[in-house]
Amino acid sequence: MRALTYFVTEAAGSLWRGRRAASLAILTIGAGLFVLGFFLIVNTNLQRLAARWGETAEFAIYLRDDVSAEQVESLSRLVHDSGVAARVDQVSKDQALERFRQDFPDLGATAERLNRNPFPASLDVRLRPGASRAEEAAEALAGTLAGSPGVADVRYDRRWLARLNGVVRFVRTVGLIIVGMLALAAALTVANVVRLAAHARRDEIEIMQLVGAPLTYIRGPLVLEGVMQGGAGAVVAIAALGALSALLRARYGGAISQVLGMESLTFLPVELSGILLLGGMLLGCIGGLMVARGVR
Amino acid sequence: MIEARGVSKLYGRGVYALQDLTLRIDKGEFVFLTGPSGAGKSTLLRLLLRQDVPSEGEMIVGGRNLAALTGRQVQSYRRSLGFVFQDFKLLQAKTVLENVAFVPRVLGLAVAQQQRRTFQVLKWVGLQHRMNAYPRELSGGEQQRIAIARALVNDPVIILADEPTGNLDPDLSLEIMNLLREVNARGTTVLIATHDRELIRRVGRRSLTLDHGRIVEVS
Repeated sequence: MRALTYFVTEAAGSLWRGRRAASLAILTIGAGLFVLGFFLIVNTNLQRLAARWGETAEFAIYLRDDVSAEQVESLSRLVHDSGVAARVDQVSKDQALERFRQDFPDLGATAERLNRNPFPASLDVRLRPGASRAEEAAEALAGTLAGSPGVADVRYDRRWLARLNGVVRFVRTVGLIIVGMLALAAALTVANVVRLAAHARRDEIEIMQLVGAPLTYIRGPLVLEGVMQGGAGAVVAIAALGALSALLRARYGGAISQVLGMESLTFLPVELSGILLLGGMLLGCIGGLMVARGVR
Repeated sequence: MIEARGVSKLYGRGVYALQDLTLRIDKGEFVFLTGPSGAGKSTLLRLLLRQDVPSEGEMIVGGRNLAALTGRQVQSYRRSLGFVFQDFKLLQAKTVLENVAFVPRVLGLAVAQQQRRTFQVLKWVGLQHRMNAYPRELSGGEQQRIAIARALVNDPVIILADEPTGNLDPDLSLEIMNLLREVNARGTTVLIATHDRELIRRVGRRSLTLDHGRIVEVS
């Protein structure tokens, strides 16, 4: 307890004395963790989006204009028997046109000018939740349906969900590379600031060495100083992410929810804040250790 | 107490700082180490502080071969020493009280013990009334007395001093020497490196003269 009190007092005092250099380190860590947090937020939301769309994934089986009632019946049976469908809705050409008018009111007049209704009738198949994981079965059904009589085309959401998942993976990889570089820069900045602090305290350290102070007493304040800088940087990053999240919610929250179909975007969950705080402290600790190891 | 057996310290390019040095200092002795600059005085103190180890020979203190000590044993050994620098090495941002209490504090002593020891040694060096002053507010002689108080606060068995009067005028030098003689009178072994022959003459204790890393005179 005495040692801890000593570490905290010395580290806080040293940070205060070198507050200008420490501020630079804190801002560098803050910037690194802000980018890390931003990527985590984007990644989390893209994953949620992919999962949500995966749950509501559907087939659209577009029918030829000359399809017969028997063929439609046969296609419906085929979908039901596959076991992957929760519901099958038949959409007539007129209903498709009406849906277009509702979805794109500005283009409604264009549709009116056409001599005939260009929209095909379709069977909209809602996949069962959980069946979305049975990708092979769904893929096989899509293949069978595409070759069936009366079918003009099959649109299967999962194909571009796979593309979305690819984008998520790409964003994650790029994010990890950038975050890794920023983390390294942050740790080196902390190390340099702690090194400056150690230099400023060289007489103190020399006296401690000469009187036989335990190494933990010599190194502890240096490591803790790094941890404090890292923690402070994390707080800066969390505050900046919180401000950004509030701004985005206020300005674009509604639009994003409408376009992406998500009621509420996740901006800064407690877990993410915890990860950032621990990450910052870990980076600071690494920086502090880099210097402390050199003091014997 | 302190014994050097055929100690040599070789630095790069074949330069000997100490060469085949053999000496013995008994417990409770007061000894001067003198000689011109570069004679090897500071090197010997470095070896005694276990900041360095001999290239050849053995440095024995209290029956322990210093070169054989582990890191932890070195810390323990240094707790039995007190060291006084020529430039005092007081921490400018700390008060007199904090400077002296710094040693027991970093050795992990309880607060009550830190305070008791600090007040004792400050009283002993006669500066308890300046305990809230900062080093810059003190004279050179007062600063060196604080440095001696700091060296004594851990109740060492040996005091090593490197040119402790180097920055002081003759009267203050004598005052500091008298203080160190009082320390010695309490049973602490004192080894002082100085090139001030006049001071050695006035104090009148055993002196070892080094030159080119060898003892050339014992008086």
